[in-house]
Amino acid sequence: MADTFKLKLSGVSSGYGAVDVVNGVSLAIRPGEIFALMGKNGMGKTTLLKTILGFLRGKGTIEVDGAVIADRKPAELIASGIGYAPQELPLFQDLSIRDNLRLALKGDRDLASALERVYGYFPFLKDRLAQKAGTLSGGEQKMLILARALMLRPKLLLIDEISEGLQPSVVQNIAKALRDEREKRGTTILLVEQNLDFALSVADRWAILKLGAIEDESPNGPDSRSRVLQHLKI
Amino acid sequence: MRDRQKLRLVLLVALALTALLLIVFGPMFLGRFSLNVLTRSMIYAMLAITVDLLWGYTGVLTFGQAAFFGVGAYATAMVLTHIGASPALFVVALVASVLVPLMLGLAVGWLSFYHGSTPLYATVISLVVPIVVTQLVFSGGTWTGSSGGLVGYETLPLGLPGYFRLSGACLLALAVLAIVFVRSDAGRLLVAIRDNEARVAYLGMNPARLKIVLTGVLAGVCGLAGFLFANASGVVAPENAGFVFGTELVVWTALGGRGTIVGPLFGAIGIDYLSASLSGDLPFLWQLIVGALFVAMIILLPGGLASLVTRFLKSANSSSTLKSLPTRIVKDGALASKSLLSIRGLGKSYGSFAVLKGIDLEIGAGELVSLVGPNGAGKTTLMRCLSDGTQQIEGQVDIIGTNIAGRAPERIVALGVGRKFQVASIFDSMTIGECLKMARFSRERPNPMRSLGEIMLPAAAAEILTLTGMADMLAKPVSRLSHGQRQALELAMVVALEPRIILLDEPTAGLTKTERMTIGTILKKLTDEMGFAAILVEHDLDFVRDISSRIVVLHQGKLVLDGTVNDVVNSETVRTIYAGGVHG
Amino acid sequence: MTLFLDVVSTAAILFIVAAGLLAIFGVLKIINFAHGAWLTIGAYCAVVVSGFGLNPWLAIPFAFLIGAILGGVAERFIVRPLYRRPLDAILATWGLGIVIGQLITLWFGRDVQFTPALLPGTFDLFGAGYSAYRLFAIVAAIALGLGFTLLLDGTRLGLSARAVIMNETLARGLGIDTEKVRLTTFMIGTGLAALAGVLLAPLTSVDPNMGVAWLTGAFMLVMVAGSSFGALAVACLIFGAAQVLVSIYFSPILGGITVAVLCAITLRIRPKGFARA
Repeated sequence: MADTFKLKLSGVSSGYGAVDVVNGVSLAIRPGEIFALMGKNGMGKTTLLKTILGFLRGKGTIEVDGAVIADRKPAELIASGIGYAPQELPLFQDLSIRDNLRLALKGDRDLASALERVYGYFPFLKDRLAQKAGTLSGGEQKMLILARALMLRPKLLLIDEISEGLQPSVVQNIAKALRDEREKRGTTILLVEQNLDFALSVADRWAILKLGAIEDESPNGPDSRSRVLQHLKI
Repeated sequence: MRDRQKLRLVLLVALALTALLLIVFGPMFLGRFSLNVLTRSMIYAMLAITVDLLWGYTGVLTFGQAAFFGVGAYATAMVLTHIGASPALFVVALVASVLVPLMLGLAVGWLSFYHGSTPLYATVISLVVPIVVTQLVFSGGTWTGSSGGLVGYETLPLGLPGYFRLSGACLLALAVLAIVFVRSDAGRLLVAIRDNEARVAYLGMNPARLKIVLTGVLAGVCGLAGFLFANASGVVAPENAGFVFGTELVVWTALGGRGTIVGPLFGAIGIDYLSASLSGDLPFLWQLIVGALFVAMIILLPGGLASLVTRFLKSANSSSTLKSLPTRIVKDGALASKSLLSIRGLGKSYGSFAVLKGIDLEIGAGELVSLVGPNGAGKTTLMRCLSDGTQQIEGQVDIIGTNIAGRAPERIVALGVGRKFQVASIFDSMTIGECLKMARFSRERPNPMRSLGEIMLPAAAAEILTLTGMADMLAKPVSRLSHGQRQALELAMVVALEPRIILLDEPTAGLTKTERMTIGTILKKLTDEMGFAAILVEHDLDFVRDISSRIVVLHQGKLVLDGTVNDVVNSETVRTIYAGGVHG
Repeated sequence: MTLFLDVVSTAAILFIVAAGLLAIFGVLKIINFAHGAWLTIGAYCAVVVSGFGLNPWLAIPFAFLIGAILGGVAERFIVRPLYRRPLDAILATWGLGIVIGQLITLWFGRDVQFTPALLPGTFDLFGAGYSAYRLFAIVAAIALGLGFTLLLDGTRLGLSARAVIMNETLARGLGIDTEKVRLTTFMIGTGLAALAGVLLAPLTSVDPNMGVAWLTGAFMLVMVAGSSFGALAVACLIFGAAQVLVSIYFSPILGGITVAVLCAITLRIRPKGFARA
């Protein structure tokens, strides 16, 4: 039976050691969709992303384009077209911008064209290739992380709290890049966020993760903001 | 469990008796060659036991025991060669052969272990020591006999059987003492250091000092072995102090089975004896086999040959017998309302990146203060600055009127601070009961001979155990506890320190709803009724709202809000930080 | 002048000997205690090459190749299971060193062997004659250092290796095959150790245990240098100078422990050694 989902999770549980931080999450994301997964800190969002990418082994099934991807190494998954913009320790601070971007590719053959492509989204990178990543501002670093995830022309992009601590203008910049990428290449994007204004400005659908389980899920609509706020406030 | 423990005890006693018989009657049926070699092997086995205590039990990989042995042997030989060999001088030689290595051991220990030292560094030093000692021997001229060593001095007039019996008796005594010690409360402390040195420090003990003392004492034991060797063999040579001999000791210990005392003992005797017997026929092949066996053992069977045996006698030694749990109330009245913790202008940077900026905070008795804020706000860093005075900070932190600058964690614990870590920091190879005992050793000196059956705990700590159902399973290994139980056990250990301030880093992470409520109840009780002050880093804001008396909000390293639960819940700033982040 | 050349050439020899160990420690965070055995393997490669009557310079590529191949086997079967147990890795590689030492003894016998000098005689420098081979050692060390810099900064493998050094989790997260990086690094490190053995052979006698004497000094220098070749060069110069001076003015025997003692003290005062930050 043909499966029309780009990414499909069924009853996924995982965690560290004996503890399940993610408890039976089921989600299905269609090709070309931007999906925002929101929730407060410690609710299992990052753990879920790491499980999808194979950094953590969990229970349940994860399918990409209808094929189960359990037991595959992160490196293989990334090479097969899953882009990942991680939140924790995401850049080599002492390497140049160019080397950071270069590391996203297996070899240097397509480097030039891939670099050209990401300059399109973040032109500032072009003039500062030799600069060390650690000297960039917080917002610039976030854009570099996203740029690196885009280097491999991913078909599925997983993004972990890219907007955290950023200026509104930078957030808008990133939002535009994501919309463009989906427009041009039909990339499917799973966005893990706490910034609901940003998330709802790009997402087609959203869900709330609480204590490792999906608490609420809905297409993005006029009442979404108040509904999400209800879940996120103190 | 009981039966196994008995079986183990019977086995050990039987083993000791057999050994005693062999030592006494051995010279009657053993040939000259065997007597000679076995005497040496038994002296070496004493060294292997010291390696085992350091490496197998305490986790300090050392190549340095050969150096202490060599120093002891040389001290003896030098006294006997250069001064003379009267009975009084034999005593002098004996004392020197123990004291000189002991002092050297303390110095080496001081060099190897300090707050923040790495295990690798201690190993590095243990490598340097034998090299230095050997080179000093080489450059000692006639004093040390240089590369030829010392030979031809007068030795104790014991004869071959006499030396065999003396060495055997010393080895047996050492082995029995070591076995008694490692099973005692004080001995379990070594394992605690191996498992989790940070936790030992945060229980108010100084792990560096303990390791220094251990290194010194064991160096003295090696020196005693050196005295025996210098007498029994009548010759000392630079190789006896060398790094290669030091590694051989480790090889024997590893093959025999680290962390078992008996394993290294048999490993040393067995391999040294076989080496001597076989080296005539197949010298290099034998070395090759030992080397290959050693590599295979390290990779495939890190517990050594002994682990094959102990697998059947497992856990006997960790199942301490706890009959009753007498408790006593430590804190019944609230402390005076003066400030327990006072932070003024606290700042902390990593390189050019400021994690904390200008934090001011006063916390008094009975307060339950929650520290909230998004990831990267600096919460965990703040906790670290409060519990470790060796951190480089700006500003000042006072705990009950004392500035903590420069104080290592254990000295801050002594001021009355207990810290609970985010990931439960307990001793993974111990039982619940043993973990709790460790928490009391900063107040009550551990017994070096026995494992006491009773644990004295403050009422609050005992209550945590009762509430979480752990009070009746003290003999259970902590490796079999659930995540929630581990968290509760660590909390009980921290409370058992009788602190006045408890720092908790995400105590509810990964817990079920019921477990959260239990922890919440306990914390409220500790603060409301018993007058503790608690500072809590927490992500679960529902939990924070339920239990806090006060909430402090951190954002990007700054304290942005400090108020009651109501103040914070209704604050627009907090809502934007958490929901929008736009005003960041 | 001679003193200066002594210092620099001693430092150069230390650098050559320690480079392979550093390459492995820097990337893998594992101390290869079989390093001494690989030095010995290299020296015996020189013995074998000269035994066949071939050009002694051929021993250099030959030793590198043999060293790297054996290193690959060792990494796969001995080091790989122990990445999470660094102290045990020290022991296992030490045991491997014993095994290699005995195999060499069984094969070649216990006797001391000699290799032909690669560069006999002296070379006139600023009016004074100085051992041509020691001068060559300086050149070789510089070439090695530059080679490494080029490898690390200029190639894709170097970039991957640096990424693994800086943050292994992230490197893996980007799809870098860290296993391959480790294997390659270990092979390069052991290949270099064998190459260093060839270069050492004319300076010392060749016997099955020759490597052990060099191991501890190299090990200490690597501890001080961390994972930086620049820091290693500095450490070799400073401690090499100290060794030469102590040997000349006090005693050669004490000179032999200068490096180890000074390194230990340096690490006590500055646990990160000469590495920056």
